[in-house]
Amino acid sequence: MKITVDILQVLILILGAPLVSGIIARMKARLQRRQGASVWRPYAELAKLFRKEDLVPPTASAVFRLAPMLLFGATVCVAAFVPVMHASALLASSGDFFLLVYLLALGRFFLSLGALDGGSAFGGMGASREALVSSLAEAPFLLGLVAVAILASRADLAGIVAWTLQQSIFNISAVHILAFTSLAMVSLAETGRMPVDNPTTHLELTMIHEGMVLEYSGPSLALIEWASAIKLHAMLALLIGLFGPWGMASGDTVWGFAVALLLYCAKAGILMVLLSVIEGAVAKMRMYLVPEFLGVASAVSALAVIFTMLAKR
Amino acid sequence: MLLLLPLAIPILGAGIVLMFRNPRVATRAALLLGGLEIAALGALIWQVHVRGELQAGRYLRADGLSAFFLMGIAFISSLVLVYASGYLRHMGEGRFTSPRWFYALVFIFLFTMISVCLSANLGLLWIMMEGTTLASALLVGFYNTEGAVEAGWKYLIVCTVGIAFALFGTIVLYLAAVKAGLSPDMALDWLSLMNAAPGAALDPHLLKLAFVFVIVGYGTKIGFVPMHSWLPDAHTEAPTPISALLSAVLLNCAMYALMRYDAVVSRAVGPAFPHTLLLIFGVMSMVVAGLLILVQRNLKRMMAYSSIEHMGIIAIGLGLGGPLGLFGALLHTFNHSVAKSLLFFSAGNIRHSLGTLRIDGINGMSRTLPQTSAALLVGSLAITGLPPFSLFISEFAILSEAFTQQRYLVVIPFLIVLSVVFGGFAYHLFGMLCGDPVRHPENARLIPSEYIVMGIAAFCLLLFGARIPYFFGLLLQEAMAVLR
Amino acid sequence: MDLVGIATGKILSSFSVFLFLTILLLAVARRISTSVLLFSLQSAVITAEVLATAFQEKLAEAYVVGALVLVIKVLAVPRAFFLLADKLKTVRDVKASTTPTQSVFIAAAMIYLSYAAVHSYGQAMHVPDDALAAAVSLILTGAFLMVSRKKALMQMLGLLVLENGIFLAALITTFGMPLVIEIGIFFDILIGLLLMGIFTFRISDTFDHLDVSKLRRLRG
Repeated sequence: MKITVDILQVLILILGAPLVSGIIARMKARLQRRQGASVWRPYAELAKLFRKEDLVPPTASAVFRLAPMLLFGATVCVAAFVPVMHASALLASSGDFFLLVYLLALGRFFLSLGALDGGSAFGGMGASREALVSSLAEAPFLLGLVAVAILASRADLAGIVAWTLQQSIFNISAVHILAFTSLAMVSLAETGRMPVDNPTTHLELTMIHEGMVLEYSGPSLALIEWASAIKLHAMLALLIGLFGPWGMASGDTVWGFAVALLLYCAKAGILMVLLSVIEGAVAKMRMYLVPEFLGVASAVSALAVIFTMLAKR
Repeated sequence: MLLLLPLAIPILGAGIVLMFRNPRVATRAALLLGGLEIAALGALIWQVHVRGELQAGRYLRADGLSAFFLMGIAFISSLVLVYASGYLRHMGEGRFTSPRWFYALVFIFLFTMISVCLSANLGLLWIMMEGTTLASALLVGFYNTEGAVEAGWKYLIVCTVGIAFALFGTIVLYLAAVKAGLSPDMALDWLSLMNAAPGAALDPHLLKLAFVFVIVGYGTKIGFVPMHSWLPDAHTEAPTPISALLSAVLLNCAMYALMRYDAVVSRAVGPAFPHTLLLIFGVMSMVVAGLLILVQRNLKRMMAYSSIEHMGIIAIGLGLGGPLGLFGALLHTFNHSVAKSLLFFSAGNIRHSLGTLRIDGINGMSRTLPQTSAALLVGSLAITGLPPFSLFISEFAILSEAFTQQRYLVVIPFLIVLSVVFGGFAYHLFGMLCGDPVRHPENARLIPSEYIVMGIAAFCLLLFGARIPYFFGLLLQEAMAVLR
Repeated sequence: MDLVGIATGKILSSFSVFLFLTILLLAVARRISTSVLLFSLQSAVITAEVLATAFQEKLAEAYVVGALVLVIKVLAVPRAFFLLADKLKTVRDVKASTTPTQSVFIAAAMIYLSYAAVHSYGQAMHVPDDALAAAVSLILTGAFLMVSRKKALMQMLGLLVLENGIFLAALITTFGMPLVIEIGIFFDILIGLLLMGIFTFRISDTFDHLDVSKLRRLRG
């Protein structure tokens, strides 16, 4: 039963990812008083891309062709770590949150290599910007997770979620509030959302993630787009699991899992609304302000770690 | 009833003066009300002397110390009010720079300072000290020039922050008092605190913490180094009568507040801790201000630094304690006020006759402005502590106490700074008095309101230098008795 | 009514977290309006704390004080700030002399410092460490804002944050001082703000800018 549910969790994360992107895009459109495309449009997009042909620049090497697959593989592994309906996941016993962070980094690394290999100027520019953002985002990401892990005295994600489940919902913890703030800021940077990066921009000089994928087409592009959607979904699920997991099923009943899934959808819905509002309300930061943004996230997460020593919570 | 009168007159007076639009009528009304106020204060002081202390309700009390400081306030404000009546003829007409606004603000300022001296409750004392800052801020920025606005802003901000720290100290003292068993209403009442202090009931750590914050907070208002940054600017840019009020009266009020706290804390934890702090701040203020006097280029700014130096001397006297130390400190508050007022009055005359206060821009004053030069000379000789003027007596008392207690770390800087300041004043003064006059004043005659006031001040300095009047001496003794 | 009791208990034990958040956000705020809103939020948290204390200790006077804080610091003062900023037609930037990253690290260091400072006192006075540390950090943050922000309006705001910290410290340790004193303190703060407002107008008129770091005519 447990294995079934774990596999189901991974499938939900992977297959539900385009839906998450679609819902966010639709909410943004509605906030801007547009109709917006249907929430199922990303699926149609992926289907279209898979049917098309892969065009490879003549100067590219094998790295260019392998990069999307490695990115997708790494992101699917990340999805296998995150608990959705109950406090465990498919690969939960294989690694801790360090592995999670560095799997994401691995995927990003290969994408940057692929972009550089594509040989276009924008690929190189996007890759270098992505390298800057991700290197700065790594510290607050790790520190935020470390702070929560110190409190839970566990390093594996499933264990931390289980610990949080046992805490009362009314005990407001300074560490958690600070860690949530910093991890939320990091998610914006990691998934390439406003105000760090504009996912819908068509101006190449403002692109970070989009710049790296300019040269890709066909199934490779489909894999990359899908992988970034899975990354967004996984980060949302991570935030929910670490900071608001109450409602997850503790027993083995189908009814419990159904309720957990429903609650998960509701919480994800709240986070998506929040993300849409933030994306609609702020303008993209200029590149030189991104280090400051991430610096603030670093300081907040450092403070969260310090607080684990001071406040006895 | 008698306690309420000196408080009611300034407040009502401010309102009354605002009603007269004609400057002459407003000035006369202000002088009349000022006279009434001085009379009320005089009656109050006499009653306190005859009956001991007076109390009205829970928040107002006048004892020997209040009476002594009120006497200083009364004397100096009477001089200032008379001087201002003549000084204001030079003032331009503006929407808010007319004599009626000037006098109204001065009366509000006087109200707050008198309430400081009459508060029985340390919380009320704090409220009124903050009130003095607020009341005088508009007076400092009265002229609305660039310098005045900057000085007023700095004064407001720095003093409000300082007073906020004093509030913290007051709260800690309140906490200590409540923990020791005093009822919340009486926990800040000075007399109850003095009675509760001798036992070990008041927590010494809390009291020491409170005193540190209080000395930093009220020390900002007094002008201790390093919290003094507002003082030279404010005293320079304010109109001259206001500079005299600030230097001569407000600094004394702040010192009064500090004395009250010092009394409570010394009684509870022993005099070593608070007095050491007072000595440190006193010596620092003396040394820094004394050295900075040498490099001043503006006459009023030099006098402002001299005020800081003398506040340092008073703090040293207070910190030494002993019979002569306290005597010297209290006497010095009065002597310094008189001398500083005289100096500021002469500076005001210089400003209006010669149009400048730059020391290097003035020459040969003894020929062009003989009366003002005489006043300036007398004031400078007095302020540097030369006999036969009164400041010599108070400084000598403090110095002998220091020698008796063998505090050479205090004595040596004290003597060095006195000599340095004398040298500085002499250098600047000879530059101004001698030589060929560069500027010729438009009108060199002093009107009666000016020279009578300066004459009274100079006479006072000589009189007190020769022999302290009997009644004054009695008030001084009563003030000292309160603090023991 | 037990819900009110639970809520009160929760407020009393965890309000300091929100104060720390406002401190950090104040350190990085780049616009005057944001800073004023954060101050308003801060005062709202403190009002909740006052009312919770009033409920738990059954002090009638504390309710009045809470109402005063609400009306003055949460509603009136921020509104006055917005009006003032409008009238002065000043640029909205805060003109910080430190970058946001540096500011937030300084704020974090100050929070840590205040914890270290109150450790010994908190145990002696049977007061939760968090609350007292929050009060001291507010005081330090107010001082930091006054020193590092070059706009006159921000100096006023720093002063207000400082007073918030002192008020909170008084509240936690003594559950409020006599009502007359509290009212007097509020009155003083109000008039102080009024005067500072008048002065900012004068600065703006005389100097045509509100940058206090350029007020350096008087020196030496």
